[in-house]
Amino acid sequence: MSRLGAVFAREARLAWSGGGGPAGPAAFFLAAITLAPLAIGPSPELLAAAGPGLMGFAALLSVLQSAERLYGDDFSDGTLDLYALSPMGLSLLCLAKTLGQGIATLWPLPVIVLLGGLMYGVPLQPSLMLAAALAAAIPALVLLAGFAGALAAGVRRSGLLIALIAAPMMVPVLIFAAGAGRAGFEGDERALANLVLTASVSLGTIALVPFGIAAAVRSRLG
Amino acid sequence: MLAMTTALAEFPALEALSPQTLEASGLSLARGGLRLVEGLDLALAPSGALLLTGPNGTGKTTLLRALAGLVRPDAGAVAIGDQPASQVAADTLGWLGHADGLKPNETLRRALRFWADMHGTPRTAILPLMRVMGIGALIDRPAGQLSRGQQRRAGLVRVALANRPLWLLDEPAGPLDGAGRDRLAELVAWHRSRGGSVIAATHQTLDWPGAAMLDLGMYR
Repeated sequence: MSRLGAVFAREARLAWSGGGGPAGPAAFFLAAITLAPLAIGPSPELLAAAGPGLMGFAALLSVLQSAERLYGDDFSDGTLDLYALSPMGLSLLCLAKTLGQGIATLWPLPVIVLLGGLMYGVPLQPSLMLAAALAAAIPALVLLAGFAGALAAGVRRSGLLIALIAAPMMVPVLIFAAGAGRAGFEGDERALANLVLTASVSLGTIALVPFGIAAAVRSRLG
Repeated sequence: MLAMTTALAEFPALEALSPQTLEASGLSLARGGLRLVEGLDLALAPSGALLLTGPNGTGKTTLLRALAGLVRPDAGAVAIGDQPASQVAADTLGWLGHADGLKPNETLRRALRFWADMHGTPRTAILPLMRVMGIGALIDRPAGQLSRGQQRRAGLVRVALANRPLWLLDEPAGPLDGAGRDRLAELVAWHRSRGGSVIAATHQTLDWPGAAMLDLGMYR
């Protein structure tokens, strides 16, 4: 347990000090949601209706944008060899590593979503629902990005490969998380159901994806 | 000169090692479709040392990775004690690859504390081992500010901190200067005196007493 905590803390610390930490995804996300209205048009009704979906989508892209560093650096600097030979099970280690890095870099997203929702004219209640759904979706998004990142570790232009692998797998989380915000906006009671579904997808990925990441890491090292 | 530094070096008292034998039999390795090693047998007893030599591209690194269980051999098997290497590698191996596994923004103190915690070695062993390798003063420097040789020394401290009986070192002396090589020899001598064993791939001539040599160029 203490080893799990040590890996989590180290990865969070490295993500923070390494490449600007949360600034990269947050800036990308902010840019996406401030530019979108310029393309969609100024109609308040349209913006409020499109807001939840748009923000779920932008969140997914900003997770993908930071996924390349998740395993690529560790592959080239030899850390991945050491992790594979560490006395802790590799699956558990990958879970701690991915979540540590993911949470350290992505924690501002739910906050920005909340503010963004209000900015788009979505009322407070559904904005909160959307922020909660996104917070629940982050473990799933980051683990799937981590899986793609591990498969593409050490490959040149791995960003492209990661996007191609991870994007289709992220579809359910995107549908549920954005769905929670949309249903909330429409006053539909399915909002809570969508939130619970988002959380359950996240729990499912926490249970299963680490094994996939560990297998991907081993095959990349071999 | 060497005798003097030996007298000065103070190694920390770590938990006793449980010495292991390593045995590879009928090992065949290929990389990128190119056959590197065929039917290789090797055995290493506790306190033993084996130096892998041979020109570039003869498979020294691949052999080390196979011994560590990171690469699956085409044929043959590696056993540590009486178990397959891939199963017990994590509890028996100290690994130094061609990269040192350091993060440019992380100070040596942070990095080595992490690895000490991972391997259940007391953190109090970090500074003595760094002094042995002559980098005690660099403990609060980020790894990215160190020279290649200093990074290598830090990598060797990490290997020693793991407190594992079998060391697999890929070009441990590569970027080291003369003094660094002497310190490496001391570190290895200390490890072997505790019943540990070492396999190192090297281009340098390493004067480790009683070390066996294996020229992989012969297997071409």
